[in-house]
Amino acid sequence: MYSMKINILGTATTKFGELWDVSPRELAREAMHDALDASGLKPFQVDALFVGNMLSGILGNQTNLASLIVEELGAQVPAFRLEGACASGGLALHNAINSLNAGKYKTVLVLGLEKMTDHSQDEITSALSAAGSDEERMAGATFPGIYALMAQAYMREYNIDEETLATISVKNHYHGSLNPKAQFQSPITVADVMKSPKIADPLKLLDCSPVSDGASAVVITSDSSIKTKKPVSIIASEVATDTLSLYNRKSFTSLSAVVNASQKAYQEAGLKPTDVDVAEIHDCFSISEAIAVEDLGFSKKGEGAKDIAKNKMTLFKGKIICNPSGGLKACGHPVGATGIKQIVEITEQLRGEAGKRQVKSAKIGLAHNVGGSGAVAAIHILKGNS
Amino acid sequence: MKTSPVKLWRRQKDIISVIGKRGKILLWTIIRVPAKSFVDQAPYPVVIVRMDDGKKMVGQLVDYEKENLVAGQKVQAVLRRLKTEGKEDAIYYHIKFKPL
Repeated sequence: MYSMKINILGTATTKFGELWDVSPRELAREAMHDALDASGLKPFQVDALFVGNMLSGILGNQTNLASLIVEELGAQVPAFRLEGACASGGLALHNAINSLNAGKYKTVLVLGLEKMTDHSQDEITSALSAAGSDEERMAGATFPGIYALMAQAYMREYNIDEETLATISVKNHYHGSLNPKAQFQSPITVADVMKSPKIADPLKLLDCSPVSDGASAVVITSDSSIKTKKPVSIIASEVATDTLSLYNRKSFTSLSAVVNASQKAYQEAGLKPTDVDVAEIHDCFSISEAIAVEDLGFSKKGEGAKDIAKNKMTLFKGKIICNPSGGLKACGHPVGATGIKQIVEITEQLRGEAGKRQVKSAKIGLAHNVGGSGAVAAIHILKGNS
Repeated sequence: MKTSPVKLWRRQKDIISVIGKRGKILLWTIIRVPAKSFVDQAPYPVVIVRMDDGKKMVGQLVDYEKENLVAGQKVQAVLRRLKTEGKEDAIYYHIKFKPL
């Protein structure tokens, strides 16, 4: 049974999307202060700040980001920036939790932040390639290209067609249509996915998560004397790693970092996959969610895409609801913010505050955050107490 | 971004050791939205290859026809100019694969 005693006090997320009129500082300020307000705390009451961000160095020419963000917090607390590609948010949260478990701090603020749309498509594609290995970059393999290779392996091994994969984006856009913070709030059809332009065969534009701006923040504490109305606890936090490159792995249809981190997390929480009611999945591409639901133990090997196509993970129809926020595909994917946005969404679900996209009587939630092509994975399990 | 000439020089022994070696395509894709320095070449195929010595490699497929884009296709490692460099950059040669 779990031993961690960490509670979420307050959460906030900005709107995700192409936010040309907003600076990274403004995004950070809005998310942090909204999360503090939701917690009933003032900036000086947090002991430290953890920031998850991938691209501020390469796109924003800023490699002292945590100190910059502290200016916007308005309290000169110790501040750290963590980077692990698209898992930067999950890594920031994991390290924040470690600092609480070590007894160093009691109440900390965790921010995930990314500003991408200030830059051109090929600059962003190059910057995101920085999450890969030299070998894959020199092969001209983009990030969608590497997931396209996984998609080909998966489709061949389990006899899955492109239409079945497309249902994953359809589900996530339907969920996004119920989320006022989502970048895309219009439903799409399988036909829309099939006729969208090819990015890296067999993946098409609507198989891919978008380029986005956004920030999300959570305040967490180990101080049990701070009371909240609808407490949500973090009962497992695990990270695992794998090779940076895809090409030299044994399997192209499973991510061992996800398998290892989730198995440790289930053990830490004293739970099994079927205990999960709601999950935020790192669907950077449609294929990613198909593989993820198998690696997390929600579906049998080779059945993930088929289960999603059969509505087994869709709001109001399925059993384990995946990506009620719309996921990366429809809610948007500001890479450093994603891992924290997942925690914000799961917290709202477990508090029963998710509005039109509320998963009925959700008690246990899981967040699955992946960096690169599976080089790093962060898994968090949350429990509602109301 | 500029490529460090030191990095290029350091890699040459690895590159030389692979030229001419053969293998078979395991997986392929066609990159249609490339990174900046590959824009001139797009669309282009990228393949994961199992070499005859058992090692796996990743690289671009060049001099190909559509029917070569299939698992099991025999390929050979060749030396090619890698990408479009900036005016001040060292010219960069690297391993690519051609069908046999």
